[in-house]
Amino acid sequence: MRVLGIETTCDETAVSVVESNQDGEGRILSNEILSQIKAHQAYGGVVPEIAARAHVEVVDLLVKQALATAGLTLRDMDAIAAAAGPGLIGGVMVGLTTGKALALVTKKPFLAINHLEAHALSPRLTDGVAFPFLLLLASGGHSQILFVRGVGDYVRIGTTIDDAIGEAFDKVAKMLGLPYPGGPEVEKQALEGNPEQFAFPRPMQGRKEPNFSLSGLKTAVRIEAEKIAPLTGTDIKNLCASFQAAIVDVVTDRMKMALRVARADFGEPTAIVIAGGVAANLAMRQALHRLAAQNGLPLVAPPLALCTDNGAMIAWAGIERLRLGLVDGLDTPPRARWPLEAKRSADV
Amino acid sequence: MRILAIDTALGLCSACVFDSDTDTAIALESIEMVRGHAEALMPLIERVINRVEGGFETLDRVAVSVGPGSFTGLRVGLAAGRAFGLAAEIPVIGVNTLSAFAAPYLGIESVDHIASVIDARHDHVYMQMIRNDGKLVLPPQITPIVEVVSAIGSVKVRIVGSAASLLVAAMREQGHHPDAEPDLAGPDIAWIARLGAIARPEHALPAPLYLRPPDATPQTNGRIALA
Repeated sequence: MRVLGIETTCDETAVSVVESNQDGEGRILSNEILSQIKAHQAYGGVVPEIAARAHVEVVDLLVKQALATAGLTLRDMDAIAAAAGPGLIGGVMVGLTTGKALALVTKKPFLAINHLEAHALSPRLTDGVAFPFLLLLASGGHSQILFVRGVGDYVRIGTTIDDAIGEAFDKVAKMLGLPYPGGPEVEKQALEGNPEQFAFPRPMQGRKEPNFSLSGLKTAVRIEAEKIAPLTGTDIKNLCASFQAAIVDVVTDRMKMALRVARADFGEPTAIVIAGGVAANLAMRQALHRLAAQNGLPLVAPPLALCTDNGAMIAWAGIERLRLGLVDGLDTPPRARWPLEAKRSADV
Repeated sequence: MRILAIDTALGLCSACVFDSDTDTAIALESIEMVRGHAEALMPLIERVINRVEGGFETLDRVAVSVGPGSFTGLRVGLAAGRAFGLAAEIPVIGVNTLSAFAAPYLGIESVDHIASVIDARHDHVYMQMIRNDGKLVLPPQITPIVEVVSAIGSVKVRIVGSAASLLVAAMREQGHHPDAEPDLAGPDIAWIARLGAIARPEHALPAPLYLRPPDATPQTNGRIALA
């Protein structure tokens, strides 16, 4: 089974061809990606209109390139998949419309993919993880802890009540004058800083419901930084190190609680999985690795290129859904907001 | 030549398959629509193409409106048009909405100049002016209405487009009385097809014509002073 996947929900235009064999194992035949980071850098974050303009200029060219890299044509596909949300609506429309048009001409089934579901299912493509598993999905736009029981069967155990984890990194970077995207920059600075220089709060730590609240932590960083401004290079390193230590502690604690909830309410997971751009953070990975090991579970983190937004995860989610006959109509609307649980209850 | 024409740039969602040799629309559908093009367009095209024997394989070209118009709307049409071109392996032609508004009046003797006008909000319009022989006098632009009035007030002109009445009202206030056509929700899809049939692909790329930069300013506020 072969599916073409298109992703345009944020600031990456991405197209990929993924194939699955009879045993259900996936293989990525091409994975083309064009990042718009440079176009947004001056604005300190993604500007929706700039993103949408960039997507429409290149998405068809990337489709062509993804097919060429795979050595295949559209006729060789079994279906066309495109992310239909959640995300920046102008960009979503571009990828979704492209996917529908390709499906209409080639008379192939069309699959409208939830971007979050694609992230959630990606460890099955990269590591063949079996259901059920506990997933931390953390990026600049999303932060949730999900218990993934099957395709279309997601239980949200926890979420952020204010900022997303990646968003907190980005905002701290911005206030310290570090370039966008802030996550990798904060991590780089933190490597040379003292994580105990500032005693930042660990919001929600110990609470029973495994939710996050990060805006207070961000404000604490601002208050400390303003106290010692103007900031030297060492100050920035120490602020980053102390901030990262706090947020890693919070995430680890929340995941510990989530695992407890999952085990009590839903049963034993096969693995702890971290996906989304935040999974690129090594300190975060190491901490979750320890947590998983303490609980006798493997930690699965897809390779970096498949943690951030990509087309392969869209194609793979397409394969998983096509196997179950879950195809979509050409009238599927783009969705800025699209919680995972809501959609899936409508399916059954 | 057989052309699939698409327009979602303004207040219509339209598609037609047009035969330029006989100047007839083989199948055509056009719905008034302010928003919702992303949901409506593909089923509409499917209905149109299903009425054409042989379907996509019989097409020679795709023509799509590139704006000016609603940014999201024109991108829906462009994404569809470009994907059709890729999948059916045929050229895709971009057609300016202002030209599509003006095209029906080309060569008409009683008409001297034709000004096409689309509301760009905040007292601005997208406009272009051509002579009735097709020569471009004022290229596509976004301009304050008052400046358009002073630029074309003394010209013998017929005003067309989706905001013709807006400009006419402003001109009357200054004592000018131009000819005008009633406001249209969007360009006639058959004219998108006709212009698409005569354009040379290398001169009419399917790229957006926004005329207005994205609304974004670089941010430095909230940054803490560095040593």
